[in-house]
Amino acid sequence: MITQTAPSTPRASAPPSPVPQRRRRKPSLYRTLSRVLIMLIVIVQVYPLAWLFLTSLRTEQDFATGDPFALPSSLTWENYARAFETGDLGRNILNSFIVTMGANILIVLFGMMAAYAIQVLGFRLSRFVRALFLIGIIVPVQIALVPLFIDYSAVNLLDTYQSMIIPLAGFALPMSIYLFSSFFEYIPRETYEAASLDGAGPYRIFGLITLPLSLNTVVTVVLVNSIFIWNDFIFANTFVLSEDLKTIPLGLQNYIGAMGKVDWTATFAAVCVTITPLLLVFLVLNKAMIQGLESGASKG
Amino acid sequence: MLPNRSRTSVLVFLLPPLLLYCAAVLFPILQSLFLSFFSWNGISEMEFVGLQNYVRMLTADDIFWRSFFNALLYLAICLVLQLGGALVVASLLTSLRRGRELIKTLYLLPAVISTVAIAFLFVRIYSIDPVGLLNQLLHWVGLGSLERAWLSDVNTVLAAVSAPEGWRFTGLYMLIIYAALIAVPKELEEAAVLDGASKWTLFTKIRFPYIRPVWITTTIMATTYGLRGFDIPYLMTNGGPGQSSELLTTYMYKTAFTSTDFGYASTISVFIVIKCLVAVGLILFMLKRKADS
Repeated sequence: MITQTAPSTPRASAPPSPVPQRRRRKPSLYRTLSRVLIMLIVIVQVYPLAWLFLTSLRTEQDFATGDPFALPSSLTWENYARAFETGDLGRNILNSFIVTMGANILIVLFGMMAAYAIQVLGFRLSRFVRALFLIGIIVPVQIALVPLFIDYSAVNLLDTYQSMIIPLAGFALPMSIYLFSSFFEYIPRETYEAASLDGAGPYRIFGLITLPLSLNTVVTVVLVNSIFIWNDFIFANTFVLSEDLKTIPLGLQNYIGAMGKVDWTATFAAVCVTITPLLLVFLVLNKAMIQGLESGASKG
Repeated sequence: MLPNRSRTSVLVFLLPPLLLYCAAVLFPILQSLFLSFFSWNGISEMEFVGLQNYVRMLTADDIFWRSFFNALLYLAICLVLQLGGALVVASLLTSLRRGRELIKTLYLLPAVISTVAIAFLFVRIYSIDPVGLLNQLLHWVGLGSLERAWLSDVNTVLAAVSAPEGWRFTGLYMLIIYAALIAVPKELEEAAVLDGASKWTLFTKIRFPYIRPVWITTTIMATTYGLRGFDIPYLMTNGGPGQSSELLTTYMYKTAFTSTDFGYASTISVFIVIKCLVAVGLILFMLKRKADS
């Protein structure tokens, strides 16, 4: 649907006045080819999602017998009704929201604090501590599952929100520290020195200068992490047992019925419902996120 | 360093994050190392077995080696799709005049979808009865002989579970590489074109060397993410049929939580950690050497 607008925009822009020199030799062929290629890739990228949405509006019969590429013969909202009957989608969304918020607060606050200590305050072992945090970027999250499972059952943390929030925040912390410290590098020393001369201590400088200046980085960190945390499957699947605490990825699994029989159209309806909140946030804020990602990454 | 800082203030800022990090990441790694020398099912007494788990893993466990090589292949497929795809699309995108923002957004879209949903989606794409998208497409372009149940065929299942992971994150890496590409100074490119450089020379001699630092970061990111691949194979095939799509991570998970062999699962965990450190070390080493030569 949206895909169709993509190709039409560039096509309309034939050659405007200042054609750069390097394109003058074979202007049309190269550019047409690259446009076609880009269109194809975008279709491959987006079509499955469009198909998912269309399928959620199909009747079951239409889905079972029809050509998968065909448009639905009739549209129905029945699948959505069944989706809400089968699972507790509202509860799942609420749980995902709680976990995402909890983890994000820890990631942002602690990430900023550690970056402040390492980058701004500075101390003798700061290089060592930075290297220590780097390990967390490299190792896969799965290695923490067995130890945490044992530790949680020893202190009765299994089957709680905290059991998901702690590892999610812990493993995201290194990247957040990295992003914040590369941002803090750009705050001029003089700002801090002036504040120090005025008698501000490290706490006031953190609250009055560093914190307000880093709001853009906060947005980036929250958005990128939310995508991963909202969709976390492995920690939830390992540490959560009770129906009341299930997050969206676990809730979706409920749609696999006994003996692997799946009500596909209802499942796809449920998928559409559960991706909507994150998708809306993403579409509204994607400019901020893309900018943050680009500037964070291009520093190498 | 701030002039007015005190030792306490450093501790106040550093300790809470460090504690959380230790509890969730560092301590579990050490604990895995400790547990890997024991035989333990979580209930009975822990029994010290020395290096026995390691000997079993390296010499007597075919499934372990099978999943190790599967994991390498999985990583290779993800890297080609993600980095190759990202580089191609990012390069093409720089030659477009309009619609760049829209394409970036559309391209990033799959990254927002949860792995459970993606697993559902791709099960349907690969399915043969009722005919899924992939098989239908093959039928249309006259490659009907290739139609198959992609997830139950031992020859195709590993590629079939790797592709969704590659598909999911291409957009993310594309954004990063694109940002680096548009930062290449225009004067450099124009000078090269005046000297008669072709598109290809322009790319290999000017653009790519310029974005090398970002390329290294991206490669490391994609590799570490590829090495932690778990969700999609686990959800789509659970390692099957047989062990044909078993990865080290899924094998470790099943050893721990299905066979409740915590000691042996920790041994595999330790191996995974070492594998990741070695992989990142290798990338840095190879790319450094190439840059020096």
